[in-house]
Amino acid sequence: MKHKKAKKYGMVIDLDKCTGCGSCMVACMAENNVPFRKDESNKLLSITWMRVYKLTNGKPFPNTDICYLPRPCMHCEGQHEGHSPCVTVCPAIATDYNIETGIVSQIYTRCFGCRYCMASCPYHARYFNWWDPVWPDGMEKYLSPNVSPRMRGVVEKCSFCFHKYQLAKEKAFMKGRRELKEDEYQTACTQACPADAITFGDLNNPNHAVYRMAKPDPKHHGRPTNPHAFRLLERLGTNPKVYYLSSREWVRRAGDNYLENESIAKKPAHHE
Amino acid sequence: MDSALIPRGVKRCPFPQFILFVAIVGAVLLWGVYAMLLCWFKGLNQTNMNDAYGFALWIWADLAVIAVGGGAFFTGLLRYIFGKDDLKNIINYAVLIGFICYSSALLILAIDIGQPLRGWFIFWHANVHSMLTEVAFCLSCYFGVLTIEYIPLILENRQIDRVPFFHHLGHNMHETMAVFAATGAFLSFFHQGSLGGVAGVLFGRPFAFREGILIWPWTFFLFTWSAAACGPCFTILITKITETVTRKKLVKDSAIELLAKISGWMLLTYSIAKTADTWYWATVTAPSMGQTLMDFYSNNPLYGIWILILEIAICGFVPAFILITKKGRKNSLALWIAITLATIGVCINRWVMVLQVMAVPVLTFESWFMYFPSWQEIATTILPVAYGVILIAISYRYLPVFPNEPELNPMETLPAQETEKEEAVEPSVDLEQELKPAEA
Amino acid sequence: MKIDRRSFLSFLIGGGAGTALSPLPWKLMDDSSIWTQMWPWTPVPEDGEASYVNSACTLCPGGCGITVRKIDDRAVKIEGMKGHPVNNGGLCILGLSGLQLLYGPTRVKTPLKRVGKRGQGSWEKISWKDAISEVAKILSDLRSTGQSHTVGCISDSDRGTVPRLFERFLTVYGSPNLMRTSSIIDSYELTLHLMQGVQASPGFDFENADFILSFGSGIIDGWGSPVRMFRANSAWRNTGGKIIQIEPRLSNTAAKSDKWIPANPGTEAALALGIAHVIIKESLYDAEFVDNYSAGFEDWKRFVLDKYGPDSVATITGIDNTTIIALARSFARASKPLAICGRGQGTTPGSLDECTTVHALNALVGNINKQGGIFAVAEPDYINWPEVEMDATAAIGMQKDRLDGAGSKKYPFSRYLLNRLPQAINSGEKYPLKALFVGDANPLYTMSDSKAVKKAFDKVPFVVSFSSYMNETAQNADLILPNHAYLERYEDIPTPPGMPKPVISLTRPVVEPQLNTKHTGDIIILLAKAMGGNIADAFAWNSYDACLKETLGNKWQVMIKKGFWSYPDFFVQTHEESFDTISGKFEFVSKETGSLKQFKPVNIEGDKTNYPLLLMPYDSIRLANGVIGNPPFVMKSVDDTVLKGNNVFIEINPKTAGEQGLREGQLAMLSTPVGKAKVKVHLFDGIMPGLVALPRGLGHTAFDDYLAGKGINFNELIGPVEDPVSGLDTAWGIRVKLAKV
Repeated sequence: MKHKKAKKYGMVIDLDKCTGCGSCMVACMAENNVPFRKDESNKLLSITWMRVYKLTNGKPFPNTDICYLPRPCMHCEGQHEGHSPCVTVCPAIATDYNIETGIVSQIYTRCFGCRYCMASCPYHARYFNWWDPVWPDGMEKYLSPNVSPRMRGVVEKCSFCFHKYQLAKEKAFMKGRRELKEDEYQTACTQACPADAITFGDLNNPNHAVYRMAKPDPKHHGRPTNPHAFRLLERLGTNPKVYYLSSREWVRRAGDNYLENESIAKKPAHHE
Repeated sequence: MDSALIPRGVKRCPFPQFILFVAIVGAVLLWGVYAMLLCWFKGLNQTNMNDAYGFALWIWADLAVIAVGGGAFFTGLLRYIFGKDDLKNIINYAVLIGFICYSSALLILAIDIGQPLRGWFIFWHANVHSMLTEVAFCLSCYFGVLTIEYIPLILENRQIDRVPFFHHLGHNMHETMAVFAATGAFLSFFHQGSLGGVAGVLFGRPFAFREGILIWPWTFFLFTWSAAACGPCFTILITKITETVTRKKLVKDSAIELLAKISGWMLLTYSIAKTADTWYWATVTAPSMGQTLMDFYSNNPLYGIWILILEIAICGFVPAFILITKKGRKNSLALWIAITLATIGVCINRWVMVLQVMAVPVLTFESWFMYFPSWQEIATTILPVAYGVILIAISYRYLPVFPNEPELNPMETLPAQETEKEEAVEPSVDLEQELKPAEA
Repeated sequence: MKIDRRSFLSFLIGGGAGTALSPLPWKLMDDSSIWTQMWPWTPVPEDGEASYVNSACTLCPGGCGITVRKIDDRAVKIEGMKGHPVNNGGLCILGLSGLQLLYGPTRVKTPLKRVGKRGQGSWEKISWKDAISEVAKILSDLRSTGQSHTVGCISDSDRGTVPRLFERFLTVYGSPNLMRTSSIIDSYELTLHLMQGVQASPGFDFENADFILSFGSGIIDGWGSPVRMFRANSAWRNTGGKIIQIEPRLSNTAAKSDKWIPANPGTEAALALGIAHVIIKESLYDAEFVDNYSAGFEDWKRFVLDKYGPDSVATITGIDNTTIIALARSFARASKPLAICGRGQGTTPGSLDECTTVHALNALVGNINKQGGIFAVAEPDYINWPEVEMDATAAIGMQKDRLDGAGSKKYPFSRYLLNRLPQAINSGEKYPLKALFVGDANPLYTMSDSKAVKKAFDKVPFVVSFSSYMNETAQNADLILPNHAYLERYEDIPTPPGMPKPVISLTRPVVEPQLNTKHTGDIIILLAKAMGGNIADAFAWNSYDACLKETLGNKWQVMIKKGFWSYPDFFVQTHEESFDTISGKFEFVSKETGSLKQFKPVNIEGDKTNYPLLLMPYDSIRLANGVIGNPPFVMKSVDDTVLKGNNVFIEINPKTAGEQGLREGQLAMLSTPVGKAKVKVHLFDGIMPGLVALPRGLGHTAFDDYLAGKGINFNELIGPVEDPVSGLDTAWGIRVKLAKV
């Protein structure tokens, strides 16, 4: 039997196209039954699996520039498969690295809320349910049965809409296929993005758009070889599966920490 | 009233005074319990923690009490394994303080987790790669050891000891205490280390991340080391405080000085190691991730370089030098300063390795996060302190915690005779045994 | 049995050990954890059969196609419709949150009649029958006393069957007072009327343009049909199309543009004239078009060459002359250049001068009714109802002057001037308004100078709201006749603003009506029938749905199947037949309006001494500022530099803030000649010194707790400034002062 290579689902976000409109954030909330509260202005208490950051170049008027950066979970692979910052630290295996897809899962019923994963994640992609989720009377009607609402006291995060992967797999299986086509499994944010700034697919598949856009270098843990592409905090060795494209140098530089006078192309810090 | 329970040969304050004291501290304890119940029933929204501060005051308190509770394992190690017999005079108290610290740590953890009823998943669904799993296992086991070490002391209560079964149980437990001490030292080495590892393995957080040996980052060893160095200082500190409060000398100077001396050397070597670690991290590790030392200590309202100087120089080297010199150890004020500084030092270290780790921005477009605990967090953190005070008060009153006490504080008259009647109906006890030091 | 201490202790210890060794504690531990995994207060959504319904979104005029995912009879997710000509799969943040409106707490659940004072929030339920007969009675009374013209109606749109039913009703009833919420479309329609002689909406062929010169239009901030604009913007990234953004604040559009030119606010028209100057002087214009299809060019040329040299324009605009010259050259030399205007989302009409000047730039480069250019798009002609038969009362009523002054001697070209209504009511100069219908609009929130608007509303004795949601206007109405939510009803959505080709989308019920609501179309029909006579005769349909089906005719089946109708044979007129002006050509100077006036910057309210700074609104796609307020999800996306708790942030340049002694995050009192408000300070380098910017879309007093009471409504701080030619609101800002509190 022919052994198929495992998938490595990932995302490429074109920051030149991203308008910061927030559709990805809301599409994600709607798809994943994310709760909301009366005051969501404290962003450190606000659950946004997908969060759009506003970056500025720090220059005075009129040389100021801003750029929006949508930040889903990076689904870090780490320096060897599954060595994500969060997966390695979870004491109860409530967050796991799916070898088949490369997706970092979160098992809400397993999680007991120690929040070590949140401490480990430099992207602040993980969110804690500080409150019981409450929907105004009647609004539970729109809750999707494909994603279970989370109870108070557990951590949640972007799952690359893993339930959509499962649904697509089931559908393909009914049609007698084991392999998914590129457009059969797309995350909610990708689909909703009105600017087509988000591309989603298998980073291991050279035919997929994400591969062609990011041009990951397998010899260097998927570091992008497209000169306009970068990953957030590349140097930490988290090996994220979300790539960003920007034609603006200051934006690419804002993706990582650099010493003064240090050039942008630097190898990851360790394990190499 | 309760004189029958009070060990022979020692004097205790009048019962009402004792009750008043316990009641006052108990009120604080109840305040903490109320806050704890709020956290349990309403959830962690009662705290000021947030998604940037998933670890905050509680985890600091946890790490700090475990660090200062390290006096138990290290004193035990010295006493039972390295045969420092002088330490028998302080080992009971070290164990008691350790027991309080560790039970507090477990309690805080039980409040801190979002789903306390699922807390046991850490054992059931254990992830062996997680430092926290290692912490949970070793911590729980070591708490068991501490309980076993503490039980014989309880069994030495005058009334309990009258029961032959308990008497013999206690005796036998004493015999095997070396085994437990060794086990405790072993477990402590790992969980103290793992707690250091908790921060050190965070390769996504350049402020915390450290290289190391095999799976253990340097913080693993530094934490064990600092706990061994500062834990005994805390034991001495609490002993000194107890002596001040009771207005009695409870432990012989020789024991204190021996422990202080060993602590001093541990602290000195630790401080040197910590300096080397900091140096390497500041010049090699962090720059390789694009960050400089001052990135971690500027552009924010609190965390300046002063914190590093305070931790290593003022609360590391200064007390170390005091403690390793005979003059320093013998001078009461200097000793006080040294043990206080050492305790503060290790607490600052734990604070930095928890709170500052969370506060430092990693993404370039995020800024420093600041945090101030809610009253519920503060109350639940004070709760174990109140509990500790009460447990010490009760233990001190009813158990022969300080074997030197009768000798150092000879009594002019025997204690009240009220209990004689009661004693009559009790089985007779071997008086000789009763007066033996607890750890016999 | 004697229980001594020993046996008691043994019992305790033995019992404890026994219990510990028994399965009991383990079972309890397990059960308690299972209980936490299915807490009864954490909802478990019911599973069922999945299905999809195609419909169209009505939450803004954008007209996007949507696909709604359903589980059994519940709608669970709104997605963009693939293949829809407007949005092709993408959807904006508001559209994605639609289910929170459908199932949300802001819905008006049943017809409500006010008890107690207006705006107090005391209502009593009323049956549909009673509600309609009550309205019919009041209308009949007014009509029988010759006051039919004192009935008005406000709607966000005048296109599509529902606004047309309102119009039809007012006509046959006898009132000229149908008013449309104003926007940049008003200015553009007027511009097309004056320069091209047509009654049409502007259609911009962004998809084929390659150089966009935007005079403050928030291309990716919600201008036009927002999702279409996002898509166009992305397409330019692929094709190398350029955007030049002219505005004093670094908006998202400015940040994403290829060049951001911060001109002094209010001087955009001067800049356009400066660009025209360079183009004409260097003969870079499209001579073919100008020579053959335009009139009045020579006059205009002289005017532009005389007064708007780069140096003088540089002084006015604050842009240096080399930039102006370079900009003019690259605009004229681009293969498909397109100049557009309408600040931010285009919710205010702005100065007519500005609009005509910007439009003249398009004429200069000859891109009128041409691929990649600007089209005059006539309203789709699918509504062909029989003429109404007006009785004498109706005829007399329709002869009366409009209350808002549109079409009057003063403003002969304007069709609607809603911005003038509050003043007309408050001054009582013409005649009072006795009854007001508010269709799909929320004037009490969206109109500037909220206090004056409220005062005017208070003078209208009978206000009926048709809103599905408890918005500010509904809250202050006497009667609410709630419409079905858009996911519960049929409705036609005519061409969205700015589309170069007509397209009609079909909104259709995704779920059964959840509450005791009624289609506004049905209410109008029922009301007409209740009034009887000619009025009833004009509404022969049995129901709105029947009316719609009949109106759409053969399009109905296609729309049901595809979700929209696009005109495949849409016909682009040649330049010969494009212009219906007096000269039959494109008129650089309208013969109807007459002479050229020197460009004058729009006077905004306030004096410089008392109000040293300038306040401007800014629009964000994450802040719905129209008839719909932000649903909870959209609120959640609002940055913490825009809103913190209930405090809104103003944006101010650090330099200006320094001069005012203000720091980041500080509270300050913002006062304008119209109103004042407490705000927080956010330092932003991207805003011109001397300016203060405040977001639109906050400060609601109605809707739910997720929105109400947060921030400030910009309209409380600004009043309208009438354009001398159109009468439309030209105010782009207001003078302001900031003080520490």
